[in-house]
Amino acid sequence: MSSQFKQTFVMIRANLGSLPRRAWISLSMVLSVALVVSVLIGFLSMAKGFETALASAGSASVAIIFGGGTNQEIGSDIPPEMIRNLKASKGDTGIARDANGDLIVSRETLVPVDVRRLADGADQALALRGMDPAGPSLRDGAALSGGRLFAPGSREIVVGKRIASEFAGFDIGDKVRLGPLDWTVAGHFAAGGSAFESEIWADMEAVQSAFDRQGQVQTVRVRLDGPAGLKTLQAVLAASSGTPIVAMPEVDFYVSQSERISSLIRLFGWPIALLMAIGATAGALNTMMSSVSDRSVEIATVRTLGFSRFAAFSATWVEAMLMSLVGTCTGAIASWLVFNGWQASTLGANNTQMAFQLSVTTDLMLQASLLGLAIGIVGGALPAFAATRLPLASALRNSG
Amino acid sequence: MTITAQEAEPYIELNGVRKGFKFGTEGISIFSDLNLSIARGDFVAVMGPSGSGKSTLLNILSGIDSPDAGKVRIGKSHLDRMGESARSSWRAHNMGIVFQFYNLLPMLNTAQNVELPLLLKPLTRRQRSARVDTVLDLVGLNGRQKQYPNRMSGGQQQRVGIARAIVADPGLLLCDEPTGDLDRKSANDILEMLGFLNRELNKTIVMVTHDPEAARFARRTLHLDKGTFIEQGMDSQ
Repeated sequence: MSSQFKQTFVMIRANLGSLPRRAWISLSMVLSVALVVSVLIGFLSMAKGFETALASAGSASVAIIFGGGTNQEIGSDIPPEMIRNLKASKGDTGIARDANGDLIVSRETLVPVDVRRLADGADQALALRGMDPAGPSLRDGAALSGGRLFAPGSREIVVGKRIASEFAGFDIGDKVRLGPLDWTVAGHFAAGGSAFESEIWADMEAVQSAFDRQGQVQTVRVRLDGPAGLKTLQAVLAASSGTPIVAMPEVDFYVSQSERISSLIRLFGWPIALLMAIGATAGALNTMMSSVSDRSVEIATVRTLGFSRFAAFSATWVEAMLMSLVGTCTGAIASWLVFNGWQASTLGANNTQMAFQLSVTTDLMLQASLLGLAIGIVGGALPAFAATRLPLASALRNSG
Repeated sequence: MTITAQEAEPYIELNGVRKGFKFGTEGISIFSDLNLSIARGDFVAVMGPSGSGKSTLLNILSGIDSPDAGKVRIGKSHLDRMGESARSSWRAHNMGIVFQFYNLLPMLNTAQNVELPLLLKPLTRRQRSARVDTVLDLVGLNGRQKQYPNRMSGGQQQRVGIARAIVADPGLLLCDEPTGDLDRKSANDILEMLGFLNRELNKTIVMVTHDPEAARFARRTLHLDKGTFIEQGMDSQ
């Protein structure tokens, strides 16, 4: 073992051994690093959870058709003749057919409805989606978790698992008022935590009738007949309609929705975390300066014995890094315990509540941890340098 | 005034040393022309009132401070020509220091404190341990290797300080008020030990002290006042 390493090792040992003398200020540094890491993980896990909820909702084998020159559900309007032409088409439309030879399509319309939340009694807008009987089968990964699907033509609803747990009156068999009429909860469905679970599904005609939207279709969901199905469908739509009609893969639709909001969350999260990190770095610098001051006699003593400046520098720097490492681990573990799986909700693209689960993943813990460690590296460097420049004679004078 | 030892080639030699400090805009001169010669194997006590420059002299001799002008030679090493790192390395191999307040590292036990200077040398753990045991035996602390400083009396802590100073077998011991914080009996024990190290192990010792009783253990006493040696004491042993 080299002499430098031995000197550094024994100085680190002496530094850490003297930590109880500086317990409170050291603890404040550890906690401030932990706080920075927690805040960043909080924001990133929010963005990640939102992305996951939306990304897992989309399927590449399902396409959504929008009308009216938009690719959002709000504002989209599909002309009835386009749907008729599509259904009547006998040739290759790119859309898969069921056992009876019928196209697998679902006309859909989305209505925001106010529902009272259990926790705080506040009214929240939820998405009531009217759909054809094929609609539920076009949601890959969604399955009934209780009860049954809505009956065609009836005022029955099937409710996403998250809504059932968060809002009052959505047990199976309950009657709940949505808009002007009462609806019966026929079943619950689960969709692996995806955005679908934030929706209420009902029969298309029942929704149109209850909300005075007869004949109005916002989107059409279709099952594609293969990887080339989308191109064929787009060509058919372009040839058969005079109005601008857009068909896009369901997965792209949800990814584009998630990108905007998760970018916004990150846009807030990173600057806040970085500002806090700058504050924590100043705190770390102050803590480590106090540490150097507190250990000045010890540093001067070993330097007088012949220990090198390098040992004084690296021991102080390592102390700072170890404390930031403890803070980082504390923040990361606490965040994982608190945030991972936390149920959150926000306004989605259709101005309706979308519930999602905060997701603390390894990659974002790593990102936040690097920021936490950087606080120790940057905040410890200057005090470590100061330790090498300690005036020995005056430091030794204070030893009494 | 020049203090000259009997040898033709003194072990320690200060020649025309000048040293001052600045307090704000005011400059204070500690030494304007200090000369000193100490022979190898001598035991010199340096006495003087507060502010006379005793500590500054010790700092210059140990190389933790450098003179503004003049020459400082110890053995064949010219400290005034060395940089800070070179002086630090020189101290590690040529000098032991005994502090008034012991300056033991409280989080290290006795053996670990004594071992510190040996970490700067290419020795194995076994060799270091053997040397530590030897010097602890020499200062009467055998069996206290694992004891921590806060469990020891002042006299015992100073013995650990002396063990640390001599463990690397330096030729020169600098002692800064080594009995200043001890009762009379403990002080005498420590001074006896320093005398032993001087007589039996031929260590050259320079001891700064306020205590005339302590100075009596030295071979020579030098009185420093206003930056100048004004009197040479007689051999006391």
